Amino acid sequence: MLTPLPDAKWNDATAAHLLNRAGFGGTPDEIERTRQKGLIAAVRDLVDVKNAAANVSPPVWAHPRDIRAQRMEIKAAKDRGENFQSKVRQVRMMEGDEIVDLRHWWLDRMLNGPAPLLEKMTLFWHGHFATSIQKVRDAYWMWLQNDTLRRNAFGNFGALVKKISRDPAMMIYLDLQQSRQEHPNENWARELMELFTVGIGNYTEQDIRESARAFTGYRIDMTTQQFRFAPFQQDHGAKTFMGRVGNLNGDDIIDILVSKPACAQFIGRKLWRFFVEDEPSKEIVDAVAERLRAHKFEMRPLLREIFTSAEFYSDRAMGGQIKSPVQFIVQTSKLLDAPPPAPIAAQNAMRQMGQILFAPPNVKGWDGGKEWISTSTLLFRDNFANYLINGSAILPPNAPQQRPGGDVRFRRNAQIAQQIKRDPIDTGKLVPAEIRAKPREVVDLLAKRFFPTRPGDKEIDTFVKYLETRGFDATDTTLRELIHLMMSTPQFQLV
Amino acid sequence: MLGAAATWTLPIFLEKTFFALDALAADAATQTVTGKDGTILVVLQMAGGNDGLNTVIPYADDAYHVARPRLRLGADQVLKIDNHIALNPKLTGLKSLYDEGHLAIVQGVGYPNPNRSHFRSTEIWQTASDADRTTSEGWLGRYFDNCCSGADPTVGVAIGEETPQAFAAKRPTGVTFSRPEQFRFQPSERGNGQLSAEEMFFRQLNEAGAGNEGGTVESNAGGSIGAIPGNARNDLSTLDFLQRTALDAQLSSDKILAIARKYKSTVPYPPGQLAASLNIIARMIAGGLATRVYYASHGGFDTHAGQINTHQRLMGEFNDAVSAFIADLKQQGNFERVLLITFSEFGRRVQENANGGTDHGAAAPMFVLGGAVKAGLFGKYPSLTDLDHGDLKFNTDFRSVYGTVLERWLKAPSDLVLGRKFPALSII
Repeated sequence: MLTPLPDAKWNDATAAHLLNRAGFGGTPDEIERTRQKGLIAAVRDLVDVKNAAANVSPPVWAHPRDIRAQRMEIKAAKDRGENFQSKVRQVRMMEGDEIVDLRHWWLDRMLNGPAPLLEKMTLFWHGHFATSIQKVRDAYWMWLQNDTLRRNAFGNFGALVKKISRDPAMMIYLDLQQSRQEHPNENWARELMELFTVGIGNYTEQDIRESARAFTGYRIDMTTQQFRFAPFQQDHGAKTFMGRVGNLNGDDIIDILVSKPACAQFIGRKLWRFFVEDEPSKEIVDAVAERLRAHKFEMRPLLREIFTSAEFYSDRAMGGQIKSPVQFIVQTSKLLDAPPPAPIAAQNAMRQMGQILFAPPNVKGWDGGKEWISTSTLLFRDNFANYLINGSAILPPNAPQQRPGGDVRFRRNAQIAQQIKRDPIDTGKLVPAEIRAKPREVVDLLAKRFFPTRPGDKEIDTFVKYLETRGFDATDTTLRELIHLMMSTPQFQLV
Repeated sequence: MLGAAATWTLPIFLEKTFFALDALAADAATQTVTGKDGTILVVLQMAGGNDGLNTVIPYADDAYHVARPRLRLGADQVLKIDNHIALNPKLTGLKSLYDEGHLAIVQGVGYPNPNRSHFRSTEIWQTASDADRTTSEGWLGRYFDNCCSGADPTVGVAIGEETPQAFAAKRPTGVTFSRPEQFRFQPSERGNGQLSAEEMFFRQLNEAGAGNEGGTVESNAGGSIGAIPGNARNDLSTLDFLQRTALDAQLSSDKILAIARKYKSTVPYPPGQLAASLNIIARMIAGGLATRVYYASHGGFDTHAGQINTHQRLMGEFNDAVSAFIADLKQQGNFERVLLITFSEFGRRVQENANGGTDHGAAAPMFVLGGAVKAGLFGKYPSLTDLDHGDLKFNTDFRSVYGTVLERWLKAPSDLVLGRKFPALSII
């Protein structure tokens, strides 16, 4: 049912919608360039990114480190009766710094990288195959999983599931590496069906028990930190799974699951919810599922079809989605023509807004949509926009010292204060000097930049009145206040 | 410099919301919430599936020791309730409450056709639906809808960042926050105690949003939770929903901040998220926030591997946080007004697994505690040998606990909220 968007509908609004959803938004210049390219070329540039875009240089610390040796060293020190706590603390501190860096590394790619859709799709898969550093405890493994998701983001879904079943971070997160022939662990087997492929209601408890046996023998080599297969741990007996009987292995189980109609429906619906609208109709889910099967679960051609479809650009879809916290951080930085927030500030913002990269709340990932918004997260969004616009000067001057604790924490807090230092934005990049004395022109220009669809007259008039109240020739300060007001509205939460 | 804006005052309907609600309590089922008197419910979620067997322990049952060779806690370690049942050794504060007559332990709580998915089972507990039916509204949301119309948005307060599905309602009600100090709009320039022009314009932009509603404030979206909030669905359009939430945030933030600044606990609280959440709740109660239901969550109970240390730590955190909270309420003189209930989406399998952990199970105990509680063991401890797929069979439906709390504590008609009557328990 996906029908191509008529040429006549390709304009600034639809071009902006494409950049918003298939990436992290666009400045007025970027929207203009995208519109001029034409729909087909614009989508091609997003979807047909060169493999080099996935070939990103990892953070410097992201390499296998023989953590077994590290753990043995700690244990040996403990056995010798030495003080091992400082070593443990040192390791923890290093791990903490690495994951903060990894979050920033990814945000920077979303904001400045060459392939926004590739990053968006990687984010989709991260939410789908949700895995958290809180259990995995090693930033290298989280990076490795992120790399796997990025390299396969536009590829075949079944192949990706198989790679994820061998991904150390996922194996740890769902206890797969502890599953033994005599004691298969059901955690991975259950979530594989409930959350990764066919969805709840499309399998039995018996299917879980049998498939858990099929995934035995998956191990992690703690020296290389890579997947390894242990044939002696594998259950070679006959399993009965969804009507099939035989010595099925893990890949067989995945093949069976992906072949089920429920899988195309489940993935199709989730994709549509992520990229287009919260409540997809049954018809649209059926249509996307049909295209997914027609493309043999290859994601690239499916994405091309979605982003060139009239349904993607429906009135209901455009400007009707609530920004995820990650979208909020990246898109706001982009629209302000400002750098991304400092790593520690970004991490805090993700926590307060309810989407911490590499630490989803549970294996179901983030529900999204209205779930992003509570009184708490909404006020935080307003206040975080304030920080992005006005810089660290707006933070309470003594905030870093407020937490109780000794000298160590005090020094750490002083460091944090240094790290989150940020200058106010340069309003000259956003508002030309010649219109500063014309409130309505200033408001129109900025509203076009910041809102996916024009707010109502009441809001526009309120913005104009604010400028008038503050005196006619708007100062930098006044413009920043106006931008903060614009961003502190319900309408700014939409994309 | 402020010009015309400086002369603005708070719109009248905002004041009405906070100061003149009593007149609205006309409907029989509608409750007036002042926060100064009346009963308060605190719901504490243990997210991830708490191991009931190692929380309320059938220490005299050989089957327990056989099924749990590595995880079992022996008779010499546990806190004995009677000759058969004991509390986890970390639950010293709860044991004291039991001895004082303030803790009810409801055993073998669950529901028919138990679901072993975290998300689905959490949803069942949050919505109080039958296992084979899906409902959007939460059980507390239906209480707000049916019994608290016209109340302040703070009638339900969830500590955290996300709204629990239990709060989901036709007309969303309740607020969510984690730190009161940050729960307010911060203008670009720090003021000197007066509203800046920016803040006044902010209020204007965010108050009438729900513009076509006339003068009545119907409240909005709330709640929060630790690891598994469930879905806080509602029928509003996305923009209406955002506007209502913005309005609620604004209405409640001044009040909450004022209370947080004025009321500090003198009772020491342990470190940790749960203790911090309960501390905020205690301060809001002390300050008389107009709230009937508070919600807090404690995560990390999904102990598939290496359970023993993790679970003991969680029990300790739970015990220490609740003990401090109770001590605080006693000191405030509010202990008699507060009832706290705990729940988890399921218990865990009787037989421990090969990784020193336990997999998803079914029935488990609930704690109900407070000044007005009738202490004791309620329900029956399920058999450890007559199992359903390796899991304990329930004998008390969790909706009996909800129903009892609604009828006897919140004085609300439980069938309106739960769809039908469930047998009451004599816990209150």
